Amino acid sequence: MGNLKWLRKGAMVVMVLALALSLLSIVTAIAQQKTEAEKPALVGSNLGLSGKLGDAISKSPAGTGKGQINPDGERGFLGIPGGIKLNPLIGFFWAIWVGWIFSTVGAFGGIMAGVGHMTIYGLGDYARTFRTTSPALNKFVTDSIRVSNQWLVGLSALVSSFNYWKQRRLVFSLGFFLGLGALFATLFIVYTTAGKIRFSQYQGWFGLVIFVIGAFMIYELTPKGSASKKAAKAAAQAFQASIKQKKDITEQGIKTLKWSLVRTEFSFFGQTFQFSPLWAFVGGFFISAIASFLGIGGGFLYVPYLTSVVGLPMYVVAGTSALSVLIGMIFAIFNFMVLAGIQVHWPLIGAELVGIFIGSMIGPRTGKYIPDKVLKIIFIILAIYLGFKYFLRGFFGINLPI
Amino acid sequence: MQAFLAYLIVWIDGFLIFFYRFTGDPVVDFFIGTIMLSFFCVIAGEFTLSLAIRFNKRHLDRMSKEMTEKENLSILAYESGDKDSYRALNKEATDAWGKHFFTMTAYSAGILWPVPFALGWLHSRFYDVEFPLTFPFTLVFGETVGYAFIFVPVYIFCRIIFKYIRPHLPYFRRVKISPDA
Repeated sequence: MGNLKWLRKGAMVVMVLALALSLLSIVTAIAQQKTEAEKPALVGSNLGLSGKLGDAISKSPAGTGKGQINPDGERGFLGIPGGIKLNPLIGFFWAIWVGWIFSTVGAFGGIMAGVGHMTIYGLGDYARTFRTTSPALNKFVTDSIRVSNQWLVGLSALVSSFNYWKQRRLVFSLGFFLGLGALFATLFIVYTTAGKIRFSQYQGWFGLVIFVIGAFMIYELTPKGSASKKAAKAAAQAFQASIKQKKDITEQGIKTLKWSLVRTEFSFFGQTFQFSPLWAFVGGFFISAIASFLGIGGGFLYVPYLTSVVGLPMYVVAGTSALSVLIGMIFAIFNFMVLAGIQVHWPLIGAELVGIFIGSMIGPRTGKYIPDKVLKIIFIILAIYLGFKYFLRGFFGINLPI
Repeated sequence: MQAFLAYLIVWIDGFLIFFYRFTGDPVVDFFIGTIMLSFFCVIAGEFTLSLAIRFNKRHLDRMSKEMTEKENLSILAYESGDKDSYRALNKEATDAWGKHFFTMTAYSAGILWPVPFALGWLHSRFYDVEFPLTFPFTLVFGETVGYAFIFVPVYIFCRIIFKYIRPHLPYFRRVKISPDA
């Protein structure tokens, strides 16, 4: 009897569930029919835009709403009809700020250039509007943001490398192995991520990296982090006091003495240094993979890697890092633009270069009035906040108020 | 402001396209025009850099001096076999070199700023023009390439030429070549 009661109750539950599911499916079906009826027609033409951009446009919904392409609209970003109109003045002023950072703080300038592309110019928000309506266009705009960052970094690395080469501070053998790693890394990144990364994913990863940089900057300010710097300063001063400088050795350059896959030797100022090509290749691969994925230079990773892991003097590391960044960026830009067909908005990059240059002129004249520690704290706060903001927005869709 | 910019763009467009209509042969004209465009980019960039060097000479000299001193010291430490001092000086130099490295990065924007504008203009004029390639280039670059593929090597070529004619050019023969030269 008791069993029968449970059976009845069970049947009732099943019936209610079945009824609920049926109702749900009917409601969903009606909603779907309604959505399909309301779904705007696709553009159906590349609207004069060739390659992957044209393909993505033709598969996007036509209309004047968000996430739609207005075929009759004025051409905006990348020549997309009705696309976002970039204001070169905003790009220019933001770039002055980036240039100011480059000449006062350093590496954080590249990060801020990326922030400009994603947030300040509105490209991130524009890409996001196509998240559900046209995923291919969302990914294309995301790739364009990545390649725009790479152009800025690559152009700068080009001139830096040339200057270091004139000063004979490039270790070509090291650059070769780092570059070989970079070649494989960029090919790997392009084939695995080009046209496949949504803007939100890119933003999330970018945020994570800024957050890690911010955490490292905090560590450097702690007593433990600053202890090694203080010790280095004391040791340097002690050495300086103990010697008499007899000769100027700045005119001597680098000579590769021995090439081998196990150990390569080069002389610098008459002293012999050596490195493992295998580790150079591994470092070049991983650093370049991160850099080309995010569209950043990677100089902030190359320098500690080459001085601490490979054990090279700082004076050759700066130039060789610039060369490695250049090689990585050439491969990345080539692979993205030629093999994957990604386009960039040239006038924006031009306006940014002008702004960066003006900012770097102002930097030395104004930065000296702000103590180094205050500058570091400002950028730690910025890094932590931006890192969190992008990480939460990108991976979890949580929008911080500011 | 917008009207002025629009007028400026039309004027520049008219000026630049003039160099692409010299002979009537499209390929020859494209190369003549691109060489001229590249030269304008080189000259505009070099002029901007020369202004920068004049403007911030004291700051650049101070930075170079600090680097040179640290460099000499650390190499002397290495030479004398004092590895601890070498490592310490190497670490000490990181800040000086880091600052120099990123300042150079920013200065390079002064040399190259005309390039993206030139590419942007080429995009507006030659977006659909494709140049067929021959074997073995097709293996790496595909069957055809666009305007950027031609412009970049021509620009590099013009930079090299500029280096040799620089001593004969008014104004440029009197200015320092780079912040470190």
